[in-house]
Amino acid sequence: MASVGASPSSGRRKSLDAELNLVPFIDLLSMCICFLLMTAVWMEIGGVNVKQLVGTEAPAQVSDTYELDVKYTSPTEMEVGLKRTGQKPTTFKVGAPTVEARLQLLRDSLKNFAGSLKTTTPSQDIKAKLAQAISVGRVTTKAGITYGEVVTVMDTLRDLGVMSLGLVPVRE
Amino acid sequence: MAQLGSQELKVGTFQQHLMSRKQRKQKRRRIMIAGLTLTSMVDMFSLLVIFLLQTFSASPELMMVTKGVTLPQAVTGREIEDSPVLALSVDEVYLDQKLIGKTQTLLQDPTPLMEKLTELRERWQMAHPTQKFNGVISLQADKNLPSTTVSLFMGLLPTQTYSTVQLAVITRGG
Repeated sequence: MASVGASPSSGRRKSLDAELNLVPFIDLLSMCICFLLMTAVWMEIGGVNVKQLVGTEAPAQVSDTYELDVKYTSPTEMEVGLKRTGQKPTTFKVGAPTVEARLQLLRDSLKNFAGSLKTTTPSQDIKAKLAQAISVGRVTTKAGITYGEVVTVMDTLRDLGVMSLGLVPVRE
Repeated sequence: MAQLGSQELKVGTFQQHLMSRKQRKQKRRRIMIAGLTLTSMVDMFSLLVIFLLQTFSASPELMMVTKGVTLPQAVTGREIEDSPVLALSVDEVYLDQKLIGKTQTLLQDPTPLMEKLTELRERWQMAHPTQKFNGVISLQADKNLPSTTVSLFMGLLPTQTYSTVQLAVITRGG
């Protein structure tokens, strides 16, 4: 059994060595481990909120903000459109053979767009600028694109500050 | 003096013989006291408890992943709200873990799904008579499914006033 040593006993003095009973301590630790292992969440599931715009009420008409349209034109290319009422829409193409490269290009393009925006507070970061400038984002998919890829596009847009997103229903 | 068969045994000698045999047996038995080092075990247990406590989540698990569904990963995944779960596996559709039908069949005729969604909404409304229906539904879809199939199912949901769809994802990093 483990013991807590004080100092070696000398002469007639009573020994200060105390025996620490580890059995209940080990029992308690084992029970704690069992409980925590049983209640542990190994896979954290989260949610990406999507507002279905088609078929519901129209989004609030805000003239000062942009509407973002990300449309797949082919499995390797997307057309990104930013339109604002009373202004000519800005469009650019994002094309790359891999998903990662496409997402990086999309990120860079939107960052460039955010940089071109005139704001009252110049020190504002890109995410805040885009969150303020873009009211709604829509993703239009195409045959040959997996759901996993669409989620990564939406995830990237949300990460850039576009919080209100929708997926346009497309029949193959 | 005792007589055993043809041999003569003296009492004293026999007793001595028994005693010496017992002593020999005792000598043969080795003292087997093994020292068990508990310190390292207690250390390991303590570290395990600390690790598990750090990863412990007090919020209950609201969603069970349906069999045959591999969820996509996302960084911006937020905590999910308790809501009905529509699960789309590669070829089957489940609503709250109950099989509704085959994916392609439901895309042709979504009536069974619509009926179930209406039923769920009405049941919710009966349970919360003073509240307005929030229209939230969770969608678990396999990441390898064609996005067009998922988009069509998502397009069906607003017709039953489910306008907010929580796409179930595995959160990473965020």
